[in-house]
Amino acid sequence: MDQPVLRGEGSVGAAGHADPVAAPTPASIAPARRTPWWAWALSPIALLPLIFIVLIALVLLFSGDLKLLFEPGFWSFNFYFNPLAPSQAVWAFPLYLVGTALTAGIALALATALSLALAISTTVYLPAWLGRSLGTLTNLLAGIPSVVYGIWGYVVLAPYFGLTLQPALRSYLGWIPFFGGPLSETASGTGVLLASLILTIMVVPLTTAIIRDSLVSVPHPLLEASFALGATRWETTRRVRLRVARSGVRGAVFLGFGRAIGESVAVAMVIGGQTQIPPSIYSGTSTVSAFLLYQQDSAFIYPALLHALVEFAVVLLLITLVFNYLAQRASGERGAVGPTSAAGI
Amino acid sequence: MHDREVTAIIGPSGCGKTTFIRTLNRMVEMSSGLRIEGSVRYREQEIYGARIDPVQVRRRIGMVFQRPVVFPQSIYENVAFGLRLDRAPPEEVDAAVVRSLQRAALWEEVRGILKRPAFELSGGQQQRLCIARALAVDPRVLLMDEPTASLDPAGTQRIEDLLFELKREYAVVIVTHNMQQAARVADRTAFFFGGRLVEVDDTKRLFEAPRDPLTEQYITGRFG
Repeated sequence: MDQPVLRGEGSVGAAGHADPVAAPTPASIAPARRTPWWAWALSPIALLPLIFIVLIALVLLFSGDLKLLFEPGFWSFNFYFNPLAPSQAVWAFPLYLVGTALTAGIALALATALSLALAISTTVYLPAWLGRSLGTLTNLLAGIPSVVYGIWGYVVLAPYFGLTLQPALRSYLGWIPFFGGPLSETASGTGVLLASLILTIMVVPLTTAIIRDSLVSVPHPLLEASFALGATRWETTRRVRLRVARSGVRGAVFLGFGRAIGESVAVAMVIGGQTQIPPSIYSGTSTVSAFLLYQQDSAFIYPALLHALVEFAVVLLLITLVFNYLAQRASGERGAVGPTSAAGI
Repeated sequence: MHDREVTAIIGPSGCGKTTFIRTLNRMVEMSSGLRIEGSVRYREQEIYGARIDPVQVRRRIGMVFQRPVVFPQSIYENVAFGLRLDRAPPEEVDAAVVRSLQRAALWEEVRGILKRPAFELSGGQQQRLCIARALAVDPRVLLMDEPTASLDPAGTQRIEDLLFELKREYAVVIVTHNMQQAARVADRTAFFFGGRLVEVDDTKRLFEAPRDPLTEQYITGRFG
């Protein structure tokens, strides 16, 4: 044949998919198919979740009194609300924020440690069948409704915490500042410690699942290369697996934090509900989301309270959005993917 | 296999070349669904012995894979990986990194960019980086599983040149599907077929006067 099978001509980057010259012979490569019209028509539907988020934020912002956010009373540390003089109310938003940050922070520290241990042992050390069944078991925990955790915490754990665990912790570990401080006078057991532990149990399935996925997806050749250099299983886990899976672990932490901040029902049932900066981990306090739940029954009686609740919700929404965004960014990082794809894996 | 020599392992696809050299440093234990029998001795010591730690075996008997596998770290940290496991002092690591990169004939190309991510190197450079990484822990034997399979001719040439340098100090075992490569680089060659060792001999003798008819058929290109 005189005619070359493949010939280069023209310029790269010209617009248009179909090449009109290539059309006549039946053996030629078919032109690119057009995107169907319905793909265009349907794509706004895919945007709906995004539109919903914006709508929720806007409606909340303007149904409440936006000015409230800029009033010093909103940001004070003393809560004051007298139903007989609702206009003099002071909302002490930072107080609730402290409660939220404290419980979510403790819960996340515990959950991260626990999930790392669980994820590493189920993917690296335990035999595959056992690892898989334990993984399934952790996933099942994620399906338990939060109110069940709450009632379990309130009915079963709280009395034990108040009468046995908290006094014991304080007398044995009280010399560590974190475990020191006063016990609750009523020995009810509800408070920062119990709420943090319940939150931990609720967050662990989520963070474990994400960390497990990222550990499992570390390319096998990288692990083999490490073993071939005489690394033990633990050294390979620490220096290769965790390093490559780093972005997944970070994503899990942010997502877990977002979940812990937003959880309201279970926390409200075991946090105590006192409007105070907790003097110790044994004392009761409140969180932003627990406050919303506690106060909603009287919200429509006092317009001032309603405005405050709405502004609380707006700030909570923004904070969780930020953490979910951080989680997305962390796990979407190309850093860990680049080198392995460059190695042709 | 002898010290200060290159031993090539040739044979058709699926004949057990890779599995064979993976038994030599107990990497074969990383795969599942197989049964391990028989014996491998390193300087008269049984490496599958009950009291032998596979981790220690792999320190003595290094390995380079078909495709270059670099860790998502800097060039320097890649070479230092094995040394860090032993918590070697920094100045020792520095010296060993430079020495290994020189031995792997990569030093001149990377001396100014040691802190750059290793995946920025070309495929051939990455493979030499893997060789440097294996050399850094000071093994006595270097196993190479088709080290040039994913490289272009220039990269292949550099690795083959390197083999002549390496065999001054190490025992090298190289798996290759390329008979010309075996003829070029190996002192001794072993021919595998169907999971069995058919013949092992001086490379020259194996290619010029094979004793087994199967070997003859393979090297004359009648199958495989």
